[in-house]
Amino acid sequence: MNKYTIICLIIFILLGPFLLPNATITEMLIFGIVAISTNIMLGYTGMLSFGQALFFGTSAYISGLILLAGFPIFLAIPIATLGSFLISLFVGYFCVKREGLYFICLTFAFNQMFYFIAYVWTEVTGGEDGLVGITRPEFIDTQFSFYVFISILFLTSLYLMYKIITSPLGLIFKLIRENPSRAEAIGYNVRFFKLVSFSIASTFTGLAGSLYVLIHSMVPIDQIHWLKSGDIIFMTLFGGVGNFLGPLIGVVGYIWLSDTFSIIWARWPLIMGVIFAIIVLYFRGGVSELLENLVKKSQSYFKKNKDEKYIKN
Amino acid sequence: MKNILKINNLSKNFGNVSAVNNVNLEVEVGSIHSVIGPNGAGKSTFFNMISGVLPPSSGKVYYKNNDITGFESYKLPHMGIAKCFQITNVFPKLSVRENVWSSVFSCAQKSKFDFLKPLSNFKYVAEETEKIISDVGLSHKINDKAEELSHGQQRMLEMAITLGAKPELLLLDEPTQGLAPEATLEMTKLIQKLSKKYTILLIEHKMHIVMEISKVITVLNFGEVIDEGTPSEVKESKKVQDAYLGRG
Repeated sequence: MNKYTIICLIIFILLGPFLLPNATITEMLIFGIVAISTNIMLGYTGMLSFGQALFFGTSAYISGLILLAGFPIFLAIPIATLGSFLISLFVGYFCVKREGLYFICLTFAFNQMFYFIAYVWTEVTGGEDGLVGITRPEFIDTQFSFYVFISILFLTSLYLMYKIITSPLGLIFKLIRENPSRAEAIGYNVRFFKLVSFSIASTFTGLAGSLYVLIHSMVPIDQIHWLKSGDIIFMTLFGGVGNFLGPLIGVVGYIWLSDTFSIIWARWPLIMGVIFAIIVLYFRGGVSELLENLVKKSQSYFKKNKDEKYIKN
Repeated sequence: MKNILKINNLSKNFGNVSAVNNVNLEVEVGSIHSVIGPNGAGKSTFFNMISGVLPPSSGKVYYKNNDITGFESYKLPHMGIAKCFQITNVFPKLSVRENVWSSVFSCAQKSKFDFLKPLSNFKYVAEETEKIISDVGLSHKINDKAEELSHGQQRMLEMAITLGAKPELLLLDEPTQGLAPEATLEMTKLIQKLSKKYTILLIEHKMHIVMEISKVITVLNFGEVIDEGTPSEVKESKKVQDAYLGRG
């Protein structure tokens, strides 16, 4: 991250609440955590999981239930996050035994299992109606204080994840993406580090899930459905996997576009599908790579102009 | 004579097909020991069993008198065994520096959680990395991505990655595979230079290279040892000549 991206990020967080409805901008920050953490697994380690909604949803349920039981939020968030960490170790242990398509299928299968548990276990999860009646604690009751609260957690998560990917661990993830058998041959336990990557992504996704319940004061069951996993992958790819903050652009774009289109036309997913197809076909690095290339081009353009002037003088 | 690697009755069957059959072999410390044989002799299977890629069907592998049979391959570099691949096997999208750094780091870790500490904590890894890269003559390419190197340079990088683990025993699987004649010569010289510091087990099928640099040669054919001895002994052997001419 150079200083320009950090400035852009700060401007986005400061101006966001004035440009967008409060629920929208907080949702963007929450899914920002999800997409950036998913990218650690997808972009850095090269593992495509189709089961991230499992952790998002389960954590949302845990956090919601703890709040409903009357416990404070400072208990709900850590317990829910810890819960998704433990589940990710369990699920991940089995999933990383396989690679490629089989890995995807396993994550998908686990996602479906947890979905149906939530669906059937109506006394606890509210089944199809979702978990309702959760109240926000007083200190984050106003829109402003809630936004500040979410922003702080968002920036803290970002900082932690940035530390992770710039540590040797981040490099090990890239080794696994580039050439797993060679990584193994120079002494890295590939399966273990895949599990680490999977757990990091899932734990941060869980943290985001535990915050999500606070926006609408409920947990709709579609937050644990595999379609949500698809959305997460979509947002990450849309923003671009080649860049640490790229997925955030994807989240902002995706949520803004779906909010805008859904008012105009009920069949808006069709438009999103077209956009997604174009991105995957022509801009493999997503929006962030597109922007990077534009910046590079304009830089070389200005530099050229400068040089020409210099020659003329 | 002191052995660093000892192989006892090693066999591998794929179903009814026996790829390697009762191979015995001892590698002396500080020597270049070559295993040669015509195509399909079982050299690669043999190599993969020693390097932990394939579990043997029967038999034992001892490294410094420790039984390492069937060890997962990620454990071997930490014990001092490093391998170099037949095909170029680097991390294409990472820089030359990152390629070698990762390998040096892997075996230089002092605690279990070193991988979570900032990169700046590992100055000694960075220094070692630069030294190895200059040893193989890639200093001018240190910040280039591996995929941007020429084939010969990638082979050198491959070697640098292998050396990063600070091994005592080097397992080389056809290091001159697909190299141009000049590059082959360069690689041969490098192997000779390396043999002063490391024990080398070399798998090759190019006879002339092996003859030039090996101390001991083991000849495999149809998965079995048909002869073993110094280069001149092997050169004279009738059985070896027959095997290479397809009369075996």
